[in-house]
Amino acid sequence: MSAKRWAPLLSAVVVVLLLAAAPGIVSAFMVQFLINLFMMAILAESWNIIGGFTGYASFGNVAFFGIGAYTTGVLLTRVEFPFALALPAAGIVAMLFGAVVGLPILRLKGHYFAIATLGVAETMREVVYNLEFTGKGTGLVMPIVRNPLIFFYSMLGILGAVTLVNWWLSASRFGYGLVAIREDEDAAAVMGINTPLYKTIAFALSGFFTGLAGGVYAYWITFIDPEAVFKVIITVQLLIMAVFGGTGTVLGPLLGALVLSAVSEVLATQLVTLAELFNGFIIILVVLFMPKGLMDLIRQRGFSLRYFAKNLREYRI
Amino acid sequence: MLTLQVLINGILLGGLYGIMAIGMSLIWGVMNIVNIAHGPLIMLGAYVTYWTFTLWGWDPFLSLPVTIVALFVYGYLLQRLILNLVVRAQLFLTLLLTFGIEVAMVNLARIFWSSDLRQVTPTYAAANFSVGGLTIPYVRLWVFVTTVVLSVVFLLIMERTRLGRAIRATAEELRAARLTGIPVGHIYAVTYGLGAALAGAAGAMWGMLFPVTPMMGGALTLKSFVVAVLGGLGTMMGAVVGGLILGLAESFSSTFIGPTYPNAISFGLLVLILIFRPTGVLGKGEGR
Repeated sequence: MSAKRWAPLLSAVVVVLLLAAAPGIVSAFMVQFLINLFMMAILAESWNIIGGFTGYASFGNVAFFGIGAYTTGVLLTRVEFPFALALPAAGIVAMLFGAVVGLPILRLKGHYFAIATLGVAETMREVVYNLEFTGKGTGLVMPIVRNPLIFFYSMLGILGAVTLVNWWLSASRFGYGLVAIREDEDAAAVMGINTPLYKTIAFALSGFFTGLAGGVYAYWITFIDPEAVFKVIITVQLLIMAVFGGTGTVLGPLLGALVLSAVSEVLATQLVTLAELFNGFIIILVVLFMPKGLMDLIRQRGFSLRYFAKNLREYRI
Repeated sequence: MLTLQVLINGILLGGLYGIMAIGMSLIWGVMNIVNIAHGPLIMLGAYVTYWTFTLWGWDPFLSLPVTIVALFVYGYLLQRLILNLVVRAQLFLTLLLTFGIEVAMVNLARIFWSSDLRQVTPTYAAANFSVGGLTIPYVRLWVFVTTVVLSVVFLLIMERTRLGRAIRATAEELRAARLTGIPVGHIYAVTYGLGAALAGAAGAMWGMLFPVTPMMGGALTLKSFVVAVLGGLGTMMGAVVGGLILGLAESFSSTFIGPTYPNAISFGLLVLILIFRPTGVLGKGEGR
């Protein structure tokens, strides 16, 4: 075990400990911002498992988020489960969904997979719209909790766990297997990797953490409806955070979530539409100028305009 | 009788899905770009028609050429200035880029034109005629006829002109096309422009049947994709057949299952088709 391997983990642990002390110091507004930031970071890191390491670009991870939110929502309101049980259920249901849906759609590649996941997310929204026990289009109202600390620490805990999983993937037999699938799936299969199993586990893991975040979100925001928890803009945000930071790296998605959440927050105080417009332009600029993300930029050291120019020229026709 | 009426409705709607999908299929087949910004192009076409109708009172059918030209120019520039920069990158990046364009277009439309529902309502909007107990709205019939005409014109361009041959050559073998002196950057842009023009025409007519909003495109992107895949990629006939299948599926499900189900049906259909028959009904060759 080299120092290089442990560095990201150590820095992450330090950051998490610092953050854990934050609610005592910062303002109530800042706490809410941090909860949202953690949530986006969880979503980006979860996506990274399937999209970054495995190379299967899911455009429908919001389906897991919505399923998690609705699992917790239904359990809290209809069955009156305690949150401590309703939250893990969100992760487990989303994980099972990932495994069941993943088995068939992970056989698809490239565009087909991406659009199939987009279709799964849209289908789930429509399904929830039409189901009686999810409250159809009117949504669910959760009991109100005044103290945000439970949400703060739940989100932080999940973020810590998903980061740990990403770190484990970055240097483990299983993680290397996923990367092998990303680089050349046929070769990976020839090398004896059970590719369907690996891919499905990665997809289910991604679903597990995304579902947990959805569960906390439902209780935190107290009101959910199909439009709010299945909306495409959530997929947009988590994707650009992961790509902006650097896909397939442990810290990249965290970094992306941090930078873009902060900018979004500032813009959203002006106009919500403006923040979403910004997302669109960021995607375009990132794809054109720094498709490998912030982590790659940092690794370059002494970067210059030439770095951006090189990226711009690389794939031009 | 009800069944026959539903059948007619489905076919009339299917024509519209058909030309949306031809554009999608063209861009995909030639450049290997899945154009997530296809829905917003349809939206833009709808707004061009809406504004020329509302501000200057232009008839939505007669202003169709204007909408088509406007969208062609827009699409040409989009490809020439932005998409051509990454067209050779891995799939994920081109997909992401059109995703970004989608988000930018939708939100610009929200800022400039607000999220209000709008509708293009010419005087003859509600007129219809009956044949043997079947009711057929004039607008839907003309929309269908127009989509057929546009499809045929497009097919002729692709099959019979030098431009069409250049596009097909570029799709087949980029390097060889370039060696024979085809300006591939320009051809790519023309291809995207043609796809955008078809999307715009579809949008113009969509606005006569359904409400126009900045967000209308999201579901239409998926539907265009469904239809393109249903019929089989790269085959123009496939897109037409796929359009009819989707139109019929939606028309029947909303009548016999419930009006809130058509979207669930078409997206569910998409996932099933991808799983069981990714090369489409008429398609051939690789898919997975």
